This record gives sequence, C-alpha cells and structure tokens, in this order.
Amino acid sequence: MSIWKACTWKAWKGMASKTYIKATIAVAVIAGVGLSAPAIAKPLSYPGGTMIMQENDETGHTLSLDYTVTPKYAVALYAKKEAGGDDFYTVGPQVNALIKRWNLPDGQGNIFNMTGAGITHDGNNNEASVWTGFLADYETRRIFVSYEPRFMYAGDIDKSFSQRARVGVAPYLANYDDLNTWLMVQVDHHPKKDDTFVVTPFVRFFYKTTLMEAGYSSNDRLMFNWQLQF
Amino acid sequence: MRKVLLTLAVLIAFTGNAYANTIKASVNGLVCAFCATAIEKTLMKQPAVEAVRVDLEHKLVTITMKQGQNLDDDTVEKLISDAGYTITDIARESTNGPAK
Repeated sequence: MSIWKACTWKAWKGMASKTYIKATIAVAVIAGVGLSAPAIAKPLSYPGGTMIMQENDETGHTLSLDYTVTPKYAVALYAKKEAGGDDFYTVGPQVNALIKRWNLPDGQGNIFNMTGAGITHDGNNNEASVWTGFLADYETRRIFVSYEPRFMYAGDIDKSFSQRARVGVAPYLANYDDLNTWLMVQVDHHPKKDDTFVVTPFVRFFYKTTLMEAGYSSNDRLMFNWQLQF
Repeated sequence: MRKVLLTLAVLIAFTGNAYANTIKASVNGLVCAFCATAIEKTLMKQPAVEAVRVDLEHKLVTITMKQGQNLDDDTVEKLISDAGYTITDIARESTNGPAK
C-alpha cells in the first residue's frame, strides 16, 4: 500500500473506528502524546504564506505543506515514511502554533508547538496516531541553537519519545540579499532505537525563500532537507 | 500655449514627487534572512507599497511608497508584527516636499 493510498477517503473511512476513537481519547487524556513533524526551520511564516518542506534524514523521509493562517497559527499536511521499515509511515493534518516569541535587538527566540493526528501504517497494521512536539530556538546573525522534544502515540505500532538539538554558526555575516551559509550539528536521541544517539554535521544554505541542508550522520545516512516559501 | 503646457508638466512631475514617501522602520528580532522574507511578502501585499528593502546589519526595513500613497504608523507596526517582528522606531523621508 503506498503512502498516498492512505490519504484516500476509503482509508480514512476505515480508520473511523474504535481504534481511532480510543486514540483520540488517549491524546486528550495524556494531553499531548504523539509524533511531530520535526521542523528544519520555523513551522509558520506570515498570514497567507505557504511553505513546502521535505526532509530526508536518518529518521526517514518527511513531506509537509504548511499554510500560515494567523501570525500565531499554521495548518499543515504531514506525511512521513519511517526509516528502518519498508512500509512504515504516518500521514495526517497538523497544527503549528507560536507559543512565545522574543524579539531582541540582536536576536530572536521562539517556542512553537506542532500537534497533529492521522494514520500510522506498518505492514498490515493501521493505527490512528497522534503526535505533538515543541521547538525552542534562539538565533542571532552568528549563532543558532534549538531543542525539539517529540512524542508519538500510534497504538500498537509506536509509542515513543525522541528529541533533537541543533547548534550552528554562520562563518560570515550575510545580509538579506546574500546567500546565507551555516555550519551546523544535529544530535538526535531516540531512546527506543538501536542507534540511540545520532550526530549529523551538516551545512545549511538559504537564499531568499529557498532553504537547503545537506549532511551525513554518524549512522551512515545522508541528510538532505529543503524548504520553499511562497 | 507652449508655456501653459510646460507649466502643467512641471506641476504634475513635482506633485508626484512630493508624495513619494519612504518609511524606515527599525525592527527587533531581525536576524534571519529566510524568516525576514515574511516582512517583504507581507508589506508587498499592500497596494500602496512600491518596494521593500530589508537590512539585517542595521535592523532596518525600508518601505518605499507609491507616489501619493502612504501607510500610517499603526498600520506599519501591525504589518511588521504580523510578519513576526517588533518595531522600535519609525522614521519618514519624502522626496521633494514634506512627508505626508
């Protein structure tokens, strides 16, 4: 079954079952268990703005489409094919919220929440899934740091917590119209996986509305991420 | 007749320039070029705006208005706030003539 077939009405209808209801109640009770789309950049832009983002890294392949509705909220469609499983993926809608922003003279800090619900498929098993995550970041023109804890609940398929931290430095101070370059390191912590800690050095480039990241992880996986804003 | 036409042409040209305003907004949080595209996109949606220039080094957003058009301070502040940033100061300049 392809990832896109899971998006069909038939597939969604099939999920409107006790399992789905059970999972929905579970998320309400637990108040925020799930898996979130990791954000390679801020998960919302400006009212009316659209972003498309693809991530290919040691955790899998992610595609998301975000539309910013208000300065503090964006809605997204999210799909991820997990690494390590031939037929293991999650699809569903997601809400991205800006919880707090600090605009400082020489820096900016943010806290975001990304929460969604959908279907997780693994082999012949479909489960309703819910996910949530937080992204805290701080950056100046020279340095960047972020931390992102993520939670996932997908019935019998997956119940997990993972976290990601990123640090970066700009080797030169680029202005708005320049090509911006960042040298960065990402550390992923997956307590349930064989590779508990994965370190990925990578380089980030962006120019105007296009962002690209490329790197290589300590567990020998290529990273290639890109994001476009409209 | 020629004098009248010449006078009219000069008046029209001068009148246009008199209202060509530029707004310079000092902005906090202006550190990331990729994110700051939100400012350009948001402001360029305004029919009165001719051009937008973002300067990360000086934390400055320069808004060039179309001739005879303007945006008041509250509107500029709201638009830049919607794009995710905080204005600390607004200055205005006009080409030939006082700021409107």
